[in-house]
Amino acid sequence: MNTPALSDDDLRCAEYALGVLDSDSRRALEREVLHNAALRATLDTWLARFAPLAEDLPGIEPPARVWTRVQRDLGFLPVPTKTPARGGWWNDVGLWRWFGIGASAAALVLLAVNLVTLRETQRTATVVAQDGYMVATIARSDGVAHWTATVDVRRARMVVVPAVHPQVAAGHSTELWLIPPGAKPVALGIVPTDAPASMPLSPRILAQMSTRAILAVSVEPQGGSPTGQPTGPVIATGMMHIA
Amino acid sequence: MSASPDADEARRAHLNRILRRVAEGDEQAFSDFYKLTSSRVFAIVVRMTHDRSEAEDVLQNVYTNAWRRADTFHPERGSAMTWLVTLARNATIDRMRQRRESPLDEEQTAEIEDEAPTPEDVAQFSEERRRLEQCLEALDPKQGSAVREAFFSGATYAELAQRLRVPLGTMKSWIRRSLMQLKLCLER
Repeated sequence: MNTPALSDDDLRCAEYALGVLDSDSRRALEREVLHNAALRATLDTWLARFAPLAEDLPGIEPPARVWTRVQRDLGFLPVPTKTPARGGWWNDVGLWRWFGIGASAAALVLLAVNLVTLRETQRTATVVAQDGYMVATIARSDGVAHWTATVDVRRARMVVVPAVHPQVAAGHSTELWLIPPGAKPVALGIVPTDAPASMPLSPRILAQMSTRAILAVSVEPQGGSPTGQPTGPVIATGMMHIA
Repeated sequence: MSASPDADEARRAHLNRILRRVAEGDEQAFSDFYKLTSSRVFAIVVRMTHDRSEAEDVLQNVYTNAWRRADTFHPERGSAMTWLVTLARNATIDRMRQRRESPLDEEQTAEIEDEAPTPEDVAQFSEERRRLEQCLEALDPKQGSAVREAFFSGATYAELAQRLRVPLGTMKSWIRRSLMQLKLCLER
């Protein structure tokens, strides 16, 4: 049966709404609709046509921790309250605070170590920890540690502890990024400047935590980068090491 | 019990109002918005990623973005739920595109789900959804299931072709023909 074809714009909007376009085509259309009201309307129409399909899926209640993390990212929760040390030393916030304070003093020493190990790791093969811990001292370019990050590989969690209280302009957030070698930064979330944060790591992120990966913190609008990539200045970086 | 059009309309208006309050910075409204919508959004993301832990990350992102970008919601352009579903699908698709250069593994290829709803499902649908269903059912069955699979999986043309085991050109023409037919049917 012969069916007339959709116009190019109509087709692109339909394909976008259905979800079959590649990233480049998606970005191109998103840019165009910003200053093309007719195209915007066409896209809205297609989005509204397909959105009701979502009714087909029975709802799945997300775990409560997701809402807690959303609130924390948005700064609705003050400082994470002292958690009982149920899971042993890993969950002991006091220990992490103490470690954070020590970390700044150790930074100058670590900087020297960093420079050496940086060269070492570039020569040697990339190591992804199979088990155990990985650490990174996330320091300013002058070597002063701002955060220390410790990854518990087996439990797929990371604890990020501010070493000093980095000053960030009001209305801004500090966002943590994983930069795997030769790849774009991957957002890991907002890290507070005044309190330790603990976050789960998805298997995909964990797989990219190698000794060639870099952790970086950038200054972003409140709540984090609007684009999914760093938009503000990077204030501190650190290499991952096997602990 | 079938959802009445009035109830659909009331729910939609309620959610629109809540999202407008979210845009004004009302944290309580945001908490309500999350309670009302998160299980639906989570289901969408879990279906696309097939990975609960990744879906949790995406969901967290979707709602922090929803708070920040609530002022981009304009009820005259579509409902709050459409706005949120779009935000969630876009976040998930972008994340999948970033990492899914590798071909699908066997396991994923094997588990094509039959997405067509049962008559019982249809009875629960909103009027909009029922209308869309009529138009989907009017498509060639294979093409209709390609469209459903595309929506629920967020896969590219190439991935869909591989998954449904047809040449890429065939998949493109199936989907494009279906899009045209859906448009004609929905505008009727």
